[in-house]
Amino acid sequence: MDRRKFLKASAGAVAGAVLASQLTSALAQGGLEGEDIANLEKGLQQTLGKSFKDLTPSQQVKLVAPTIAESGANVPVEIEASLPADQVKAIHCFCDKNANPLLFSVVLNGVLPYYATRVRVAESAPVRAVVETKDGKFLLASQAVRVTVGGCG
Amino acid sequence: MAINILVRFNPARPKAGEEVRVQIVAQHPMEPGTRRDSSGKLIPADHITEVNVTMDGQLIAQVKPGPGTSANPLFAFKMKATKAGQLKVTCKDLNGQTGERTADLTLA
Repeated sequence: MDRRKFLKASAGAVAGAVLASQLTSALAQGGLEGEDIANLEKGLQQTLGKSFKDLTPSQQVKLVAPTIAESGANVPVEIEASLPADQVKAIHCFCDKNANPLLFSVVLNGVLPYYATRVRVAESAPVRAVVETKDGKFLLASQAVRVTVGGCG
Repeated sequence: MAINILVRFNPARPKAGEEVRVQIVAQHPMEPGTRRDSSGKLIPADHITEVNVTMDGQLIAQVKPGPGTSANPLFAFKMKATKAGQLKVTCKDLNGQTGERTADLTLA
């Protein structure tokens, strides 16, 4: 095999391998970049006493966060639930890869189901908003946030 | 040293029944306890652990920020402006420092 052919063939093989590995890792993670359910579970158990599968993903919860944040030290997060104000008990927010997965929890009493703040994200990982309703349901919304500089170190 | 808190209503003078966004900013370094200083030592954690918002003496929201909240944190809520009243924000951090601020909500 001459040099030219060899280069072409190897470049193709490498590109294919990289693509394949990215695809498989994306599938294994359920679509969101940097998912770490084991770490998230720790925080969920500690604050809510629930596991990840007890949460119901819901369209009624809107989580607004940037997909790419320049600095992980300051990521604006906005959570809004399209539910009547008297049905929402609390809003919790978690990040998969933070050393302490719980970012904050807010107990609402008489205000509209809306909360905005700025959080620290240690490394690229999904941010999850959990809305706790009065009838004991936990509604989930997730958004992957990619950070270029981590916010916790 | 007390924690300085700023409160702003948006719009500043809402009409009765209008939605008003309450923005609260606390001036605080919010050390998460995982960062290191220039000599490599861990900076001890020092962050706000509790923020209570009351309207005319009634608790309307309670925030419990963890170490994962940014420095000089913003806390924003939305509420229906039904009547004028006094909003009071109190907060507490890990070192036992407290901050307090009252703001009057007036209707247009």
